[in-house]
Amino acid sequence: MKGLRGSSFATVVAVVLFVAAVALLPTVINDFQASQYAYVGIYFIAICGLNILTGYTGQISLGHGAFMAVGGYTTAILAAKVGFPYWTTIPLAGIVAGAAGLLLAIPALRLSGLYLALATFGLALATPALIKEYPDLTGGSTGLSFDLVRAPSRLGLSTNDWFYYLSWTIALVLLGAAWLLLRGRTGRSFRAVRDSEVAAVSFGIHLPTYKTLAFTVSAFYAGVAGALFAVVSFSYVSPQTFGLFLSIYLVVGTVAAGLGTMWGIVVGALLIEWLKEPTFEIATVSRTDLVEWADKLLPVSLDPSAIGIADFVFGVVLVGVMLLLPKGAGGLLRRGVTSLADRLYTR
Amino acid sequence: MRRFGLTALLAAALVTVGSALAGSTADPGISSDEILIGGTAPISGEASAAAAVARGAEAYFKSVNAAGGVNKRKIVYKYLDDGYDPSKTVQVVRELVQQDEVFAVFNTLGTNNNLAVREFLNQSGVPHVFVASGANTWGADYKKYPWTIGFIPSYVLEGIVYGRYIVKTFPTLKLGVLYQDDAYGKDMVAGLKKGLGSKAKQIVSLVGYDPTAASVASQVAQIKASKANAYLIFAFGKFAVQASIEAAKLGWKPKLVIVNVVASSANLMGLGDLAGGKPINKGAISIAVLKDPTDPKWAKDPGLAAARKILKKYIPAANAKDGYYYAGMASAISLVNVLKRAGQNLTRASLMKAARSQNQPKHPLLIPGIAVKTSPTDGFPIEQMALQRWVSRKGSAAGHWSMFGPLRTAKS
Repeated sequence: MKGLRGSSFATVVAVVLFVAAVALLPTVINDFQASQYAYVGIYFIAICGLNILTGYTGQISLGHGAFMAVGGYTTAILAAKVGFPYWTTIPLAGIVAGAAGLLLAIPALRLSGLYLALATFGLALATPALIKEYPDLTGGSTGLSFDLVRAPSRLGLSTNDWFYYLSWTIALVLLGAAWLLLRGRTGRSFRAVRDSEVAAVSFGIHLPTYKTLAFTVSAFYAGVAGALFAVVSFSYVSPQTFGLFLSIYLVVGTVAAGLGTMWGIVVGALLIEWLKEPTFEIATVSRTDLVEWADKLLPVSLDPSAIGIADFVFGVVLVGVMLLLPKGAGGLLRRGVTSLADRLYTR
Repeated sequence: MRRFGLTALLAAALVTVGSALAGSTADPGISSDEILIGGTAPISGEASAAAAVARGAEAYFKSVNAAGGVNKRKIVYKYLDDGYDPSKTVQVVRELVQQDEVFAVFNTLGTNNNLAVREFLNQSGVPHVFVASGANTWGADYKKYPWTIGFIPSYVLEGIVYGRYIVKTFPTLKLGVLYQDDAYGKDMVAGLKKGLGSKAKQIVSLVGYDPTAASVASQVAQIKASKANAYLIFAFGKFAVQASIEAAKLGWKPKLVIVNVVASSANLMGLGDLAGGKPINKGAISIAVLKDPTDPKWAKDPGLAAARKILKKYIPAANAKDGYYYAGMASAISLVNVLKRAGQNLTRASLMKAARSQNQPKHPLLIPGIAVKTSPTDGFPIEQMALQRWVSRKGSAAGHWSMFGPLRTAKS
C-alpha cells in the first residue's frame, strides 16, 4: 500500500522479508499457535479491506462484522446445503459480500461522517437478528456446520498449518491487489474524496462511483475474511460468531494499524487476536499475563479470571492506542522513517 | 539460515528421542500419576448460574484426589469459560485439545455449544463424554459420533413424560408453551407433542424465544393473551427466571406450571417473590432424576449427605440447595466410575469402551431405582425419571421439591 509506493530497493526488501517471515513462522510456533496466527491472517484481510474504505476514502464503517457474516454464511450454506467444496466458496463469499456492500453503499451515499457510522453500526446490530430470521437457510441460533476442512494429504501439513498457509496466502494476494488498486488513479481519487469531497468533485471525480467502489471492494475483503473464519472455526458459524463486538474489534484494529503500511496492518491484526484470545502471546505476553502484572504492580486487585476483565483490558488498550498512537502503528512507523527534511517539504 | 536449520534439526531430534522415552502408546493428557480432563462452562453470560455444574464436578474430583485418585492417578479438571456462546466454545475446546492436550472433554454445557465441537472432537478421536445437555442426538447418533456420549435424560423423553402426565391428570387444561428456539427447546416440544398424542390440540400457544435475546417479556404476554391456563416453561438460565417473574408481574395465575428440570434449581424457584406480584411457582411440576437437595424425603440420605459434605469442604460459599452443584457431581461420579473400569492402562479408546458399557444400578445421587446403563447399541445413560412438585407456603415462592408417583420411562 502506501509503504509500497514506487519500487525503491528498501520496499522490495521489506516485502521479501515480510513474505519470508510469513512463510517461516510455522516452523517456530507450535501447532495450536498456528491456528491463532491463521486468525491473525484473517483479521489482516479484513483490516486491509477496511483500510481502503476508512483509511483511504474516509468512509467510516462500524459494521464490517456484518460483511464477514455474509461471507461466513455464504461459505457455510454453499458447502453444507449445496455441496460446494469449501475452497470454491471463498471467492464466492467475497463476491456475495461485495454485492451486499454495493447494496449498502447506494443508500449510504446520502450519509456522511457520524450518520454513516450510525447506519453501519445499525447493520452490525441487525445482522445476527436477520440471520436468525431464516432458520431454514441459516440454521437459526443453532448455527450451521459443514464438513471439517483438512489439509490436502500430499502437502504433509497439519490442519492448523494448512489453515495458516491458506489464510496468509490469500492475505498476501489481497494485499498485492490492494496495492495495485491504490497506487494509481483510483487510489488518488479515493484520497481526494477523503480529504475534501468538494475539491474532489471540482477535479472531476465522480463521488458516487468512488464511494460505492470503496464500499464494494472493502466488503469483498470482509467477505473473504468471513469465509476463512468459518473454515478455521471448525466449519461452524452461528449468529454469535459475527456479533457486534467483531465489528468493533475490526475498527480498533484498523485504528491501531493506522494508514497504509503493511506492517501497520500486521500490528492491527495481532492486536485483535490478542484482545480476543486470553492466551494469545505477542512477544511472550498474553492478555492474561498483562492482567497478572497489573495485579502485582498496581495498587488495585485484578483477577485474571474475573468476568469482564477482557472488556476492561480492551477499554484500557483502546484508550492507550488513541493516546499513544493517534495515527496508528503505520503513522508511528512513517514518523520514524521519514526524514525531517522530507516532512518540511511535504507539509 | 543455516544455523536455524541446524537448530530445527536438533529440536526435532530431541522431540523424537523424548517421545520415544515417554512411550509412544500413551494418549495425550495422561501420565502415571495424572489425568487431565478438559471442559467448558458458562462462567459468564446468560446461563452463568449453570457454571455450578462444572464447580460441583470439580469439588467431587478434589475429594477423589484427596482419597488417592483413580487407579493412583489424580484428576486435573480444567474448565474454561465459553459464556454460553458456541463460537467461543469452538475456541476454548481447540485450546484444550491442541494446547493443553487434554485426555478427554467432559461435562461441556449447552446443546448448541456441544453441537459446535462434536464433529471436531470425533474426527480428532477425543472422548466427548457426559455432555451437559439432554439433546436427543447425543444418544441417538452414537454410530455417527462414537466419541460423544451424554448423561442426563433426553429432552424428548422429558417432554413425553410431561405430555403423558397432562393427558392423564389435566385433560381439559389449555397449554401455553414458552420454549428456547434451538435444538434443546425443539426437542422438549417434540417430546411434549408425542406425549400428548391425540391431545396435542391442548396446546393453544407455542412461543419460542431466541437464546441471545435480552428478555422474554413479550413472549410471556403473548402466551397469557392466548387464554392458556397451564404454563410450560422450557427455558434456560436467566430466561427461565424471567419467564417466571414476568408471568407474576402480569398477574397471570395459570392452574399448572411445568418447568423443565435444567431450569428448576432452587435459586430459580425462589425468585417469584422478587417481582412484587404473586409467585406463580406454587404447585409447579418438574421432572426429577437427582435426589433433590430441597426434598425432605432425602434429608437423611447418605449419598446426598456425602455430597453436601464435599460441597461444604471444597466450595464453602456454595448454596447447598442449588441443584446444579449436585448435577455436576453426579456426572463426575459416573466419570470416575467409568475411569476406574477402564483400568490401569487407560487410553481414550478404553475410556469410550467403558462409557459404552456402563452399569451403575445404584448411583448415590440419583433417585433409587434410576440406573446409569449403556450398551454398544444404547447411547442413553439415564432413561428413567420421576415427577416432582414444588411445595410452598401460602403467598410465598419459597419452598421445596417433593417427588411423587412412580418412575417413568419412554414406555410407561
